[in-house]
Amino acid sequence: DPRAGAVTVLCARRYAVEDVPFSVPAASETTDLSHLINKLLAAADADHKYVEFDFLINGQFLRMPLVTHMETENISTEEVVEIEYVEKYMAPQPEECIFHDDWISSVQATEEWILTGCYDQTARIWSLEGKSIMTIAGHTEVVKDVAWVKQDSLSCLLLSASMDQTILLWEWNVEKNKVKALHCCRGHAGSVDSIAVDCTGTKFCSGSWDKMLKIWSAVPTDEEDEMEEAANRPRKKQKTEQLGLTRTPLATLSGHTEAVSSVLWSDAEEICSASWDHTIKLWDAETGDLKSTLTGNKVFNSVSYSPLCRRLASGSTDRHIRLWDPRSKDGSLVLLSLTSHTGWVTSVKWSPTHEHQLISGSLDNIVKLWDTRSCKAPLYDLAAHEDKVLCVDWTEAGLLLSGGADNKLYCYRYPATASDVGA
Amino acid sequence: LQDIRNTVGNIPMEWYQDFPHVGYNLDGKKIYKPIRNKDELDMFLEKMENPDYWRTVQDKMTGADIKLTDEQVDLVHRLQRGQFGDVRFDPYEPAVDFFTHEVMIHPVTNRPADKRSFIPSLTEKEKVSKLVHAIKMGWIKPRKPKDDAPTYYDLWAHEDPNSILGRHKMHVPAPKMKLPGHEESYNPPPDPEPGLSSRSRSLAWGAQGTSTGAEVGVGGDGRGTTTAAVDGRGTAWSCLTACFSQVNVDPEDLIPKLPKPRDLQPFPTTQALVYRGHTSLVRCLSISPSGQWLVSGSDDCTVRFWEVCTARCMKTLPVGGVVKSVAWNPNPTVCLVAVCVEQSVLLVNPCLGDKLLYGATDQLLESYVAPEEERVQPVQWATATVEEHGKGVRLVVQHGKAVKQVTWHGKGDYFASVVADNSNMQVLIHQTSKRWSQNPFRKSKGLVQCVLFHPVRPYFFVATQRYVRVYNLLKQELTKKLMTNCKWVSSMAIHPGGDNIICGSYDSKLAWFDLDLSTRPYQLLR
Repeated sequence: DPRAGAVTVLCARRYAVEDVPFSVPAASETTDLSHLINKLLAAADADHKYVEFDFLINGQFLRMPLVTHMETENISTEEVVEIEYVEKYMAPQPEECIFHDDWISSVQATEEWILTGCYDQTARIWSLEGKSIMTIAGHTEVVKDVAWVKQDSLSCLLLSASMDQTILLWEWNVEKNKVKALHCCRGHAGSVDSIAVDCTGTKFCSGSWDKMLKIWSAVPTDEEDEMEEAANRPRKKQKTEQLGLTRTPLATLSGHTEAVSSVLWSDAEEICSASWDHTIKLWDAETGDLKSTLTGNKVFNSVSYSPLCRRLASGSTDRHIRLWDPRSKDGSLVLLSLTSHTGWVTSVKWSPTHEHQLISGSLDNIVKLWDTRSCKAPLYDLAAHEDKVLCVDWTEAGLLLSGGADNKLYCYRYPATASDVGA
Repeated sequence: LQDIRNTVGNIPMEWYQDFPHVGYNLDGKKIYKPIRNKDELDMFLEKMENPDYWRTVQDKMTGADIKLTDEQVDLVHRLQRGQFGDVRFDPYEPAVDFFTHEVMIHPVTNRPADKRSFIPSLTEKEKVSKLVHAIKMGWIKPRKPKDDAPTYYDLWAHEDPNSILGRHKMHVPAPKMKLPGHEESYNPPPDPEPGLSSRSRSLAWGAQGTSTGAEVGVGGDGRGTTTAAVDGRGTAWSCLTACFSQVNVDPEDLIPKLPKPRDLQPFPTTQALVYRGHTSLVRCLSISPSGQWLVSGSDDCTVRFWEVCTARCMKTLPVGGVVKSVAWNPNPTVCLVAVCVEQSVLLVNPCLGDKLLYGATDQLLESYVAPEEERVQPVQWATATVEEHGKGVRLVVQHGKAVKQVTWHGKGDYFASVVADNSNMQVLIHQTSKRWSQNPFRKSKGLVQCVLFHPVRPYFFVATQRYVRVYNLLKQELTKKLMTNCKWVSSMAIHPGGDNIICGSYDSKLAWFDLDLSTRPYQLLR
């Protein structure tokens, strides 16, 4: 029965209203509540312009009529309910669309440049406006992952990992716009699917189809590492010329029973790896020991860590995105499960500025922007791709990027609003 | 002197007094007395005149007179004087004391006890240490302690009243036990408070008491009880009382419990990826043992290799004929795919994955040395031409007729191919490392639909239209014939664990066999 519930509304300082309980109709929705707030603000301030608000009850976004929400959340209608309201997040605005020659397997962007890895065996550097700056060719197979090591105004160091089992460390001279291969990191026995550089920029780790993780030094040197010469090496050397000096791994971490799909550094000396054997493992990079394992039900395609909320987000082949606490002692504890995709989730990425937001790309061609406080539905669906989405990225400056099998890289501008929770 | 030895022996010679002879000699002839009658007068004269009379003796044996020699006379005189007979004997030799008369410091017979009488025996110590060593080495095993538990003899175990021998044996009829009384039928529901019930139970037992010939009732749930009784002599007899089984079977128990679908995962629920690229019917699929690559063959005469996680087509191989079947070698160290193209089977190295692995596979194939003598083979093995080698084909096995299916053995060296005709040459087994093919069957048992190797054990499954025959490859004989109740079997698959087989048929039935259970399907799904 449509009884009215008593509510108090809290908000940010900008849109403050009196802290007085209100009576609102039970069937009111977000738009109705929004109107209410705006009326209150207009009454207080003469030239107040209409602003859309979004409402949170107990940390959950209100997405349905108030009474249905309260029923599902078992909130009694007798008591006074506190509702927070925040300025509604604007949709990300599409900015650029960069065309490639083949599928885009990975993308990583910084303040000024975008680095993409492509299935045509090259990695490319683009400007934020979409202009092609550099094409980095050298691999003999598809490039599966790319990463920046460090940048300064003169030269940048970057890595590209490929299905030809090697990782190449490149130096890019910005001024002259020339790129040179410094090191060729050999050691994997299968396609290298994922690389991650640590926060100091001196080390990086790689995960591959041979079920191993290897840690390498990212500092360019002039020596070549000794490598065991396999019997076929001389034959291969004649076919392809060596790019850069050979480098061998500093350490190899083994423990996964299937291919490693994604790696990242969650701490200064801690590596997190997600694999096709349904587990996410946390390793100590110094000793090489396995610290803990989080077990799931399905293959993990991608994993991302947010130091702001200290949570791991994982994308799996069962179309869910799960949030984990890596510090939990007891095996596996899924904190939250975000379901909306209708295909495998191939990549997830947390926002570097907002502790509750993340984007995910999936094989159903859609990139979804989520707020973890509203776990029933994503905030926005970015359905621009015509084919599978293979990689996503989020920069500090508020740029969302997604690359897919339709050879296109889309960039969206998403204003970085500070997390605004009131008293 | 004649050698006259009398052979009569020790007899009184008076017996021959009256006879002319005194015995017999060695030849048996009589020994006659000397013919001389000596009367008293002659004897007196002899006594007086014969100087040697005092030393003449008549030999009783021969009857002759013997004159004693000087030594003999000496001997007689010595004996008469009571001296020792032998001349050489000296009765006055010096005496040697066995026990000396002097007093020595060490006693001979009365010496004190040795130290070894007081300390533990050394010889025994040696013996014991040898025994210990033997026990430690396991040469001597300690005796097992005898089990003192009383053994029961079930007299009526093999009782068969109808057998003839049963009547002859010493027949002791089973003792009639007392029917279960109140204490056995007392079966209270479980108490909510366990503390209370145990007390009450102990009280009940205490009240019973024990007596000779007591009955100890052991648990009962209404169906039948085992009672043990001790009779007067102390032997325990145990027997089952009559099984009064009531038919209180819950009908729910009879329905077999099928596993929940969630337990049978992974099975396909949703479509995840679509691999686009073929232009015609896709007939066959195979996935690499690592799970990274997928190979598919189609009616558009190409074989395509895909990356599983992204649906990327890595390679396309035009083979110039409709592809009926593909199979990826299950050995993870060998990188080979068998492709059935019309009348031949191609062994292709896809060159995907670890470079060292597919390089090693190539080397392995190239290191083959043909045997010296020509072997008669039902098919022809040929290495690929240079052009084909560039595409990835390594070996071509030319069959005479269209090949329907190819499948690998678990170890990756042998593979079997099925040819689409109804002769005994339908199934062929090939060995890649020796490039040798053989026909395992002499007689055709029907149109072969498909064949399979067991993933672990040496079994070979051949599915014909109505049956699946299981052959043991080591013993080279038929092990089992599985009866599918289907009219026309189309395909067959085996669980990687190796215990279950599923056969699908054209009459929309799926027969699931549990190999350990029976030759009939465990379940028939429609």
